[in-house]
Amino acid sequence: MTRLLFVKLLRDLRGAWERIVLMILALSITLVMFSGVFYTWGVTGREMARAYLSTNPASATIWLERGLNADEMAAIAVEARKQPGIIDATSRTQFTLQVQQEGGGWGPNPLQIFVAAPDDPMRIENFTVEQGSWPPAAGEILIDRSSFDLLKLEVGEAVVVQAPNGAPTSLRISGVVYDPALAPSFQEQKGHGFISAESLPVLGEPVALDALNIQVADQPGLITPSRDRDVIVATARDLVGWLQQTYGVAIREIQVPTPYAHPHQAQADSLLLGLLVFGVAGLLLSAILVATMLNGLFTQQIPQIGIMKAIGARSSRVLQLYLLMTLVIAVASTALAIVPGIFISRAFTPAILTLLGVDAESLTAPAWMYAVVIAAGLGVPLLFALASLVKTSRTTVREALDYRGVDRRGDISARFDAGLGRLRGLDRTVLMAFRNIFRRRARFLLSVGLLASAGGVFVGGMSTMAGFQASLDRERELRRWDVDVRLAGIDQVLADALTNLVADLPGVTRVEGWSTLQTSVIPPGQQFSVTRTYPDQGHGSIAVTVVPPDSSLMDPPPMLEGHWLGPNETGAIGISQGVAEDLPDIRSGDTIQLSIGGRPTNWRVVGIAESVGHGGGIFITQEGFEAATGVSQPNLLRIVTDNHDEETRTAVAQAAERTLTDAGIVVLSAASVSRSAAAGAGHMLPLILVFLGLSIAMSVVGFAGLASTMSTNVLERTREFGVMSAIGAPASTVRRLVVLEGIFIAVVSCMIAAIPALLLTAIMTGVLPMPGTFQISVSGVVIWIVVVVLGAALATLAPASQASRLTVREALAYL
Amino acid sequence: MNSNGLQESTTRRQAIAGRSSGEGLPLSEPLIDLHQVVKTYESPSQPFTALRGISLQVRAGEFVAVVGKSGSGKTTLLNILAGIDRPTSGAISVAGTQLHALSESQLAEWRGRTIGLVFQFFQLLPTLTIVENVMLPMDFVEIIPAAERRPKALKLLERVGIRDQADKLPVTLSGGEQQRAAIARALANDPPLLLADEPTGNLDSATGTSVLELFANLNAEGRTIVVVTHERDVRRYIGRQVMLRDGRVADGVQPEADQLEPAEVRP
Ligand SMILES: Nc1ncnc2c1ncn2[C@@H]1O[C@H](COP(=O)(O)OP(=O)(O)OP(=O)(O)O)[C@@H](O)[C@H]1O
Ligand SMILES: [Mg+2]
Repeated sequence: MTRLLFVKLLRDLRGAWERIVLMILALSITLVMFSGVFYTWGVTGREMARAYLSTNPASATIWLERGLNADEMAAIAVEARKQPGIIDATSRTQFTLQVQQEGGGWGPNPLQIFVAAPDDPMRIENFTVEQGSWPPAAGEILIDRSSFDLLKLEVGEAVVVQAPNGAPTSLRISGVVYDPALAPSFQEQKGHGFISAESLPVLGEPVALDALNIQVADQPGLITPSRDRDVIVATARDLVGWLQQTYGVAIREIQVPTPYAHPHQAQADSLLLGLLVFGVAGLLLSAILVATMLNGLFTQQIPQIGIMKAIGARSSRVLQLYLLMTLVIAVASTALAIVPGIFISRAFTPAILTLLGVDAESLTAPAWMYAVVIAAGLGVPLLFALASLVKTSRTTVREALDYRGVDRRGDISARFDAGLGRLRGLDRTVLMAFRNIFRRRARFLLSVGLLASAGGVFVGGMSTMAGFQASLDRERELRRWDVDVRLAGIDQVLADALTNLVADLPGVTRVEGWSTLQTSVIPPGQQFSVTRTYPDQGHGSIAVTVVPPDSSLMDPPPMLEGHWLGPNETGAIGISQGVAEDLPDIRSGDTIQLSIGGRPTNWRVVGIAESVGHGGGIFITQEGFEAATGVSQPNLLRIVTDNHDEETRTAVAQAAERTLTDAGIVVLSAASVSRSAAAGAGHMLPLILVFLGLSIAMSVVGFAGLASTMSTNVLERTREFGVMSAIGAPASTVRRLVVLEGIFIAVVSCMIAAIPALLLTAIMTGVLPMPGTFQISVSGVVIWIVVVVLGAALATLAPASQASRLTVREALAYL
Repeated sequence: MNSNGLQESTTRRQAIAGRSSGEGLPLSEPLIDLHQVVKTYESPSQPFTALRGISLQVRAGEFVAVVGKSGSGKTTLLNILAGIDRPTSGAISVAGTQLHALSESQLAEWRGRTIGLVFQFFQLLPTLTIVENVMLPMDFVEIIPAAERRPKALKLLERVGIRDQADKLPVTLSGGEQQRAAIARALANDPPLLLADEPTGNLDSATGTSVLELFANLNAEGRTIVVVTHERDVRRYIGRQVMLRDGRVADGVQPEADQLEPAEVRP
């Protein structure tokens, strides 16, 4: 780089400062978005893993058919630790109880209680006691900090739970626990509490523990828990063999969740990766914009390049000059973006971690991430500008002499032009606008591509959200009932008797007796199942829904394979897509063994249904359930009310609970179905905002691109416009010419945008941890078309008036 | 036709021919040697042959004017001499270099050392001052030590009579001044050969004449000059006129200017 070229570079930068500033801003805005999401992804992943592992999660939990007393279990745990591959072992239990609402009645949200012996070393499945102390005294309970709001509890007060025998029992809340291994209560709609085994008698329960939590190493002698689920399963099976042989205990289930992964790890990852796709798309978009604008700058310099070449400049010198220009822009935008990107991630990460119920130890991203961001900030624009850099620097004097701002034209566009000319009645200005667009085909394609990608992201984002909304609506539509009444299912009352009790209540139009329960698959030849269930007993388990005969609340779902359950089919199950994905080898016609009520039962899979509504899972008929288990009492009453408003639903729920309780039936909860839907929707809001923010920022970049492209076009055709006004074209004609070009580009971009929009919607619908149906948001498309056409007109207005104001004199002075 | 002027320039030419050229080439070897040069432009409609077999020699120290009707191939010929265009066939040697053997980048560097180019349009870089424009070729070729570049550029500007405009930007100069600056820049690396395409085409006749006088003086100092021109009075300054007609050197007007048909110089 010679000193003079450097001087020239500085002056050129100063001369084009508006465009340079626009490029730097566009790049840094998108780099801020990208780096913000990128850091958030990295820090969230790290903090989630750190927090989860800080609790020393068990590699596996072995559930006994019947609990043993605490001392016996402690002795087993001591012996188990000596078994090969077992790092540590301890014994626990847990159960879920209903919580009394303010003003009486059992609330809709239960409390899951984890129990450990008072002398448990608390090495496995540990938690942090934020207030109070472990172990709590008999009759006292520690409550997970995220459960207080949900269950409306206060430290020092009592929580009244329904003991297993049905009696209300009061436990004093003596402290607060933070357990990052559990999903927060507002997500699960379930509270978490921790008691010592000494409190079991208070609840009317025997002091018995039925779970053996173990940590498994890859090999005997190692002390790091294994990351290999297969090794863990094998070791747990061996330990079970030893348990059965040595102590003669019966095993119900082995639970082996994904090692080292928080229950919401996969969801958080796919959510953030989804956002990262947007971030990367934005960055690429602005790199395209910068490449377009740089290409415009370079193009404008072609005559000068010709001169430099004519007086002895080699291509490498010219390359240096424009490379440095590109670098200045890349460095400036990266420098600008670094701090705001960090700020965004520092605001966004805690929001995500709160959703996951995890405290951050540090919000600082790892060093390699900063390196990636810097490399992206410097490298991406450079990479995109490379082709035009090389092409520009190779411009020969001859090309510079020939240069008129017109691409060398092939026969096709010549014929296109001739064809256009023959179209009679076409306004001459329109004709010129068309011709001009095709003169600089590369730039035309770039501006179209830029707007099309922005449109794709916008419509893709809107469609993704519309898809979620549609699937929520669909679920609501499929949910044809208004009130769920959960029963303990311990009374020997027949379904008809139950429904008759409720059917005559005012406002009730229909009642059906359903059942729901949890199950797991027992492999052939085994007596127990090995599941992926997490300690909260929710994540990783499979739900069974028992459908009553002649149900009018559920239509046969669309099938992927096989057929839906016949009305009274026994021994048969229909499974949903989600379950089928977890059991990869399952086909319709296969037989599987399910653990129902702790007993292995055999079932034939008759069909695999699309996962729509009803929460997915396994479906069986009432007759099939009775035949397999002998249980005829439903544990869930689904009530349809005459009015579907909240008032009626609540009134009916309360009336049903009173009537059933008066009849001596134990009611776990009675509530309107809309309650949980509302809770779920609230948590989507920050995500939706992030989506919209990303696509709006991208659209802004798109318009900046159009404006700059059009002003480059105008600049380049200075002579032409000057000549037009010299031969008497009024200013309005010139203005119209430029605006028409912009609008034409916008319209073409809308058509092209369909491709990225479809792709993005498909990807996002597939990847995000929410049920979504693939659909294109019509309002999104309409909004975008209106915005892009208006935006294009506005964005070209400045270049257009610039063109119409050109005087002949300015036009001729232009080099 | 002014036979005195012609007489004058002929004597001057003979005087210069007696000295050795800047490059120290032997007298017997011409500075420019074209042999059967053909240039065909490939255009989408149909190829067009602009030069149809030009053979031409220019000795060091000559001042040659290329004349001919518009479209006769003058610019094409000059571009080929400058290595801006490559001939479709035929051989060119300029200052002892076979141009076809050089790559684009080598050509650029060769041009920087060997040729001073002056175009019809002024072609100064708009964001560099006049003196910076003159220094630019020195920076590219780097045969003049960095410290001497500015004094040398100022001396060249002095020589072309615009020393006082040195630190202005090109737009603030008049057409004639810009053309002089372009000539100063063409001289920056002391090239043995000066090529100019209608250097006076954009100037009024008085300014045009002064530019031509400048060329004549440079020629008198020993520089070889080939200039494409329409200027009627050019014959007062030049040593030889080459007339092109339809891409060929017109017969019968070859070496001596007094055989020229005035009507053909300016149609
Ligand atoms: N790049 C090109 N592509 C195609 N044809 C060309 C090109 N450049 C020149 N020509 C054609 O070659 C012929 C010679 O052109 P040239 O520019 O050499 O003429 P000229 O003698 O310099 O004319 P003028 O006095 O008008 O400058 C012309 O007919 C022109 O149309
Ligand atoms: Mg010409």
